[in-house]
Amino acid sequence: MKLINTLRVKPWLPQEGSQQEKGDFHQLNDNQAAKTALNFFLTVITVIFFLFTITFLQRTQSFDFQALSGEPWLPFTDASMLWQNTGYLLLASITIIIARRYAELQHFYAVVFALTATTLFTSLFIIGQFLVWQQLNHAGFYINTNPANSFYFLLSGIHALHVLGGVIVLVSCIGIFATTFSYQQLSGRLKLCARYWHYLFFVWLFLFFLLTSDANTFKTIALICGF
Amino acid sequence: MSKFANIAIADQVDESKHPHSFMTKYIWSQDHKVIAIQYSITAIAVGLVALVLSGMMRLQLGFPNEFSFIDPSAYLQFVTMHGMIMVIYLLTALLLGGFGNYLIPLMVGARDMVFPFLNMLSYWTYFLAVLVLLASFFVSGGPTGAGWTLYPPQAILSGTPGEHAGILLMLASLAIFIVAFTMGGLNYVTTILQARTKGMTLMRMPLTIWGIFVATILGLLAFPALLVSAIMMIFDKVIGTSFFMPAILSLGETLDHSGGSPILFQHLFWFFGHPEVYIVALPAFGMVSDVIAVHARKNIFGYRMMVWAIVAIGGLSFVVWAHHMYVSGMNPYFGFFFATTTLIIAIPTALKVYNWLLTLWRGNIHLTIPMLFAIGFIFTFTHGGLTGLMLGNVVIDLPLSDTYFVVAHFHMVMGVSPVMVLFAAIYHWFPLLTGRFLNNALGKFHFWGTFLGTYAIYLPMHYLGFLGVPRRYYAMGTTDFIPESAQSLNASITVSAIIVGLVQLIFIFNLIWSTFKGKKSGRNPWQATSLEWQTAHFPPGHGNWGEQLPNVYRWAYDFSVPRAKDDFIPQNVTPEDVAYLDTEESNKGREPS
Repeated sequence: MKLINTLRVKPWLPQEGSQQEKGDFHQLNDNQAAKTALNFFLTVITVIFFLFTITFLQRTQSFDFQALSGEPWLPFTDASMLWQNTGYLLLASITIIIARRYAELQHFYAVVFALTATTLFTSLFIIGQFLVWQQLNHAGFYINTNPANSFYFLLSGIHALHVLGGVIVLVSCIGIFATTFSYQQLSGRLKLCARYWHYLFFVWLFLFFLLTSDANTFKTIALICGF
Repeated sequence: MSKFANIAIADQVDESKHPHSFMTKYIWSQDHKVIAIQYSITAIAVGLVALVLSGMMRLQLGFPNEFSFIDPSAYLQFVTMHGMIMVIYLLTALLLGGFGNYLIPLMVGARDMVFPFLNMLSYWTYFLAVLVLLASFFVSGGPTGAGWTLYPPQAILSGTPGEHAGILLMLASLAIFIVAFTMGGLNYVTTILQARTKGMTLMRMPLTIWGIFVATILGLLAFPALLVSAIMMIFDKVIGTSFFMPAILSLGETLDHSGGSPILFQHLFWFFGHPEVYIVALPAFGMVSDVIAVHARKNIFGYRMMVWAIVAIGGLSFVVWAHHMYVSGMNPYFGFFFATTTLIIAIPTALKVYNWLLTLWRGNIHLTIPMLFAIGFIFTFTHGGLTGLMLGNVVIDLPLSDTYFVVAHFHMVMGVSPVMVLFAAIYHWFPLLTGRFLNNALGKFHFWGTFLGTYAIYLPMHYLGFLGVPRRYYAMGTTDFIPESAQSLNASITVSAIIVGLVQLIFIFNLIWSTFKGKKSGRNPWQATSLEWQTAHFPPGHGNWGEQLPNVYRWAYDFSVPRAKDDFIPQNVTPEDVAYLDTEESNKGREPS
C-alpha cells in the first residue's frame, strides 16, 4: 500500500512533492543500510534455494529417482545424525541471540562465552554435515549414482557454504570488536548475524524435510504442484 | 545517528583521511566514480574483443572459405563468445557497474555507495570473471562453442568446441560474475533506498535512477537462475551427475548419464535470460529519458507513467521467459499464456516510446550528439520492438525461429538500442567526468556511421530470415530454397559491419583525445536540473558534495517552467531562489501555478 501511495505522487506539483518529502527522509543509518542489504541478500538466497527446489521436485518424478528414506536400507530412514546436526545449528542460533543481549549489557565474559559457543556449534554443524557425506559414501550412496544423492550433496553443500560464509563474517565482527571494544557496534552487527543464522536454520529445516522425504511424499507434492 | 563508529572515507571531514597515493586513489579505490570508470574501461575493452569476434564471423558469412583461420569450430567459438561477452560482460557491466556506480550517489545526493569496500570488491571480482573468461582463449581446445545459451547436452559433449576446459571456464566465469553483480547490486539498491539526500523522494528521482533501481532488482532475482544452472552443469560435466543430461549415445559410446532434463536447463536459462533483456533495457530507458528531457528543454512527458511502466515491465519480465522456447515444445496452453504475457509487456513499453515522442513534441530540440543518439535509439528500439511482437506469437515464431530474422530482432532491440543509449549517455555525461566535451565533428561522424551502418547490417537480415537462412551455420552449402542473391546480401552486410566496427575506433580515439585535449565544458554545460551537475567541485571530487549534502526541493524535470527566467531550475534550488521574468524582484520565490 505504501508503495502504491508513493507511486501515486505527482512530483511536478510542488505541494505534493514537499508533503511526501516530510515523511520520506531519514538520515543515513549504517545499521539500517546493512539491514536493507541483508534483506535483499536473503531474498537472493531464497531465490537460489527456490530454484534448486523446483529442479529437485521435477527430478523426483523421473524413473531413475530413488528417495533416500522410506525403506530400512535407505540412509535417511534413520536420520538421527541429521537431527543431531540440526540441534547444533539451533543451539548456534540461540547462543548468537544470547551474545547480542549480553553485548547490549556490555558484559564482556558473557559475550565471549556466547560467541565461542556460537562458533563452536556452527562448526560442529558443518563438521557433522561433512560426516554425513562420508557415511553416504561409505554406504555406496555416491554423488553420481542417483539424482537423489546428487541433490543431497549439492543442496547440503550449498547450504553449508552459506553457513561457512556466515562464520567468516562473524569472525570478522569479533576481530573488529577486539580492536574497538565498541559494544554498540557489536550489538548492531550481531543482530544482523542472528537474522542470518535464523534464516539459514529455517532453510536447513526445509532442506531436511525435502531431502529426507520418502517416495510417497514426493508423489503427493508432485500431485499438488501439478508435475 | 549511526550506531556504527566507523565513518566511511568519503564522509571524513579530515582531508588527510581521503586517499592520496596512486594505489588507493586509482587501483584499490573505494570511490564510486573511480570504480565506475574501472568497470567502464574493462567492459569496453572486453566489448572490443567481442566486436572483433563478430567481425570474424561476418568475414566467414560474407566471404565463405576465403579465410583459412576460420574453421567451423572457430566460427562457433566466435559466435558463443561474442554473444556472452556482449550481453553479460559489456552491456550489463557497463550499464550497471559503470553508469550505475557513477550516477547513483551523484543523482540521489549521496557521498558514495553505502558499502564502498564491497563496491571495490565487486569490481575486482568482475575483473576476475573477465580474466577467467578470456583465459578460455588460451587453453587446449579453446573457448566453448556451445552458443551463448550453453544448452546441454550438446554444451558438454564431445564434438562441441571447447568441451573440456572451455565450457568449464565459461561456467566458472559466469558464477564469479554473478557474485560480483550481487555485491554491486546490493550496494545499488541499498544506496537508492537508504542514502538519498533530504528532499530526494522516490518520485523525485530521475528516471535514470528508477531504471537502474528496477534493473538491479531484476538482476538480483534473475541471476540466481543462471548461477543454479551453471553449478548444476559443472556437476554434470565434472562429477558425472545427471541433472540436465539424459541417457545419451555420444560418438557411438553410451554415456553414464540418465534421466536428466535438458529442457529444465532451458527453463532455468531463460528465467534468467529474459529478465536479462530488461536488466539491459531499463537503465537504457531511464538514461535516454533524461537525455531527451535535457536536450529538448522539456519536462519528461508522463513521468509517473514512465515510473509505472518501468516497474510493470520489471514485473512482467519474469512471466514471459518461455517465449524463447516455443520450438522446444510445450503444452499449447502454456504457449498461449506466454504469447499473451509477451504481448502485454508491449503495452508499458509502447507507452514509454509514446512518452519519449511526446516529450520531443514541440520541445526546444537541440540536435546535440547525445540527442542524435537518443533519437536514433527511438528508431532502432521501435523497429526491434515491433519484430518482437511478431516473434512473440507462437505461429509466427515457429517458422522464423533459428533464422536470421531472430538475429536481426534481438540485435536491434537489445544490441543496437542499448548501445545507442550508451553512446548518448557517454556524450552527455562525459563533461561531468572530465570537464571537457567530446569532439563534436567526430561525434556526428560516429553517430551517422553507427546509425546508418547498423541499419545496413540488420534490415537485410530480416529479409534473409524470411528467406529461411538459418542462424549459427558456418556455411550454407547447397540449399535450393535460398536464392544465390542471399549471398550477395551477406557480403554487403559484412562490408557494413566492418565499416561500423571501424567507426567505433573513431569513437575510442575521440574518448582518449577529448579526455586530454577536448574543448572545456564549464559547469553544467547542458543546463541540466539533476543533482549530479550541481556538485561543489566540477568535476566532482571525492565525497561529491564538499561540506554539506544538497537539499532537494523539486523533481528532476523543471525545464521551461512558465515565467521562470531560466529554462531550467536545478533540483537543489529553493523556491525562494527561483527567478521569474515579470518583475523579477517582487515575484521572487513565487512558484508558477
